Amino acid sequence: MKVKFKKIVVPSILVIALVAIGIWGGYQYKLKEEYEIVLNNSYQRLFYDLKAHVENVQVSLSKVLLAESKEQNVLLLTKIMQEAYSAEEKLGQMPVSHSDIAKTEKFLNQVADYSFAIAEDSLEGKPIDAKNREALVNLQNYTDYLSKELSELHKKIADKNFSFGAVKRKERRDLDKTNENMLNTRLIQLEEKMTETPELIYDGPFSDQVTNVKPKGLGDKTVSAEEAEKIAKEFMNGNKVAKISMFEEGEQMNKTARIPAYTFSITMQNGKNSPAIYISVSKTGGKVVWMTNTRAVTEKKLSVQQAQDKAQKFLEDKGYKSMEPNYSLKYDGTVLFNFALEQNGVTIYPDLIKVKIALDSGEVVGYDAAQFLKAHYKRDIPQPQISKEEARGRVKTNFDIENVRLAIIPKSSLEEQLCYEFKGKYQGSDFIVYVNALTGQETKILKIIKNENGTLTF
Amino acid sequence: MKKIVLIASIFFLTVAFFVTYYIHANTQVDKEDWFSDNREESLDEAETSAVDSINYYEASLAPKVLTWGSRGQDVKNVQWKLLQWGYFNSAVDGIYGERTYRAVRWFQSKNGLTVDGVVGPKTAAALGLSLGVARDAGGAKTAGVSRNEDITLIARAVHGESRGEPYIGKVAVAAVILNRVEHPSFPNTIAGVIYQPGAFTAVSDGQINLSPDNESLKAARDAINGWDPTYGCRYYWNPATATSKWIWSREVVIKIGKHWFGN
Repeated sequence: MKVKFKKIVVPSILVIALVAIGIWGGYQYKLKEEYEIVLNNSYQRLFYDLKAHVENVQVSLSKVLLAESKEQNVLLLTKIMQEAYSAEEKLGQMPVSHSDIAKTEKFLNQVADYSFAIAEDSLEGKPIDAKNREALVNLQNYTDYLSKELSELHKKIADKNFSFGAVKRKERRDLDKTNENMLNTRLIQLEEKMTETPELIYDGPFSDQVTNVKPKGLGDKTVSAEEAEKIAKEFMNGNKVAKISMFEEGEQMNKTARIPAYTFSITMQNGKNSPAIYISVSKTGGKVVWMTNTRAVTEKKLSVQQAQDKAQKFLEDKGYKSMEPNYSLKYDGTVLFNFALEQNGVTIYPDLIKVKIALDSGEVVGYDAAQFLKAHYKRDIPQPQISKEEARGRVKTNFDIENVRLAIIPKSSLEEQLCYEFKGKYQGSDFIVYVNALTGQETKILKIIKNENGTLTF
Repeated sequence: MKKIVLIASIFFLTVAFFVTYYIHANTQVDKEDWFSDNREESLDEAETSAVDSINYYEASLAPKVLTWGSRGQDVKNVQWKLLQWGYFNSAVDGIYGERTYRAVRWFQSKNGLTVDGVVGPKTAAALGLSLGVARDAGGAKTAGVSRNEDITLIARAVHGESRGEPYIGKVAVAAVILNRVEHPSFPNTIAGVIYQPGAFTAVSDGQINLSPDNESLKAARDAINGWDPTYGCRYYWNPATATSKWIWSREVVIKIGKHWFGN
């Protein structure tokens, strides 16, 4: 019996266990295959889509060069915009590292952005001039190159049964040498070519001019680190500063930061256990860019109105007169107010300062003037060319208007525009409609999404 | 003897069958998660909170309500508040159970609200929380709109990327994400930037699916409301662990905690 047990039972148990593991392993393998196919298919689809979008951009660009009528141009330009954005979005999902496609992405974004800027100009009656034409021809050439490269790449991928999944997993040994880096090298070549694309001069959120814009509201006095420390301490007046230390800045702070500044971390004497206060002072002009006190707010004693008064008073103390609150948002036991500058009865939205008040003590726990410092300058506000009533005529008749005023709004990112601002209701929802006060064109429509914590205060 | 062998083999086969079945069932779930990517969390919230959840879209437009049995980040936030104010003294686990129910009732009776143990818009407001999932119809340009889904997504990225960093370092990571959205060389949506292949290690290793802590949520909100401690940076890296040569060619602007921020 014992011998039999050893001879039959033990081996059969082992065999069965082996079979079980085999089944399990088989399942695992099958699953892995399934995933790989799913992944591969979605990447293949992405690639086809990308190619199609780029081709559409190229075709539409050539049509724009031919088209004569304004209407046709606007249609084509918006199509270019949409196709280029889609291409960019698909490219951003490809399994290649960002540094290899950053410039191509930028190119596609700018194509989209540029065509939208020209479409807007066309609608305002400015025809496509020689300069635009030249830029469009240029863009068309590059897109042409891009789509050729993509089809070249695609042919190779289709020929060699290339697996995107393998690229993603970097499983080099499964692929032969030519395949392994094909996607990468091809796209890198593209990338090098794209470096040569000329800088486009236009007004859109992605134009190079906008990303490199210099802050206007700083003044020109240069401030040393010691002076900045003093300014930071003064800003926290009433509170005793126990310790102040500066964050180490990088070598390129002065060159690439949007507002070059000194950044400090402050510990208060009365608050050993409370978290640090962070504050930033600009190197030029010595203005406080932002300040944040990260302490938790547990009680709520103040009303929003009381908090607003405190915020207003705070701004006046800091020398920001005639700022008016436009929007407030309640969160984490605090209220954040957006203040915009008011000049001769015109609300200037680009000059924006945010103030956050703690609802327990009314203390200012957040302050952000970055936007104001970037945009503010002494403006000569033009006289509106049309009256309020004329502007009203341009807005849908059954739009139920609650409030009208003049405002300067940022148009794209470089220009500003004087507008009549109509706030009101349409079909139960709140909207703000902007009508250009110089030309009478309806320029922008904002929809307000109701939220119990956010309130428009004008 | 044959009997023993037979019984043993049947036993093993059954075990083997159940083991494979179990594993298969589990991985199947993973697979579906893979498809739903970033929607996953918001879907969960909508399902558990809306009373008669019809579909995700409608549920998110209706005011959210938390009741016994609700789960998720909103419940955690409620529990957190109640804990801070001394109404609740159990674990902040994100499950609306009996203790949470009692704490909510106590809070409601103390604050002159209808005592029903249900966290609706009014109770949430009294707690200083927002449950509404507002949809942004006008795109990212509708200023000041509550974008709860974006905030949770950013908070999850921040949580995965910068645990253990000082608060300002967390806001800085969130600000980098937003700076990328604005920059032409990157995708133009928050999800596009976060899920860009290889962009964030927390996405590659799945840490982004951890539920974010309160500080990360706060950091995400502060960043979305405009605070940018990096002065417009689009990259950050930890000099102690960074492996990419390319990242060293970036221009450093500021050093916060363990991270360097640059362009």
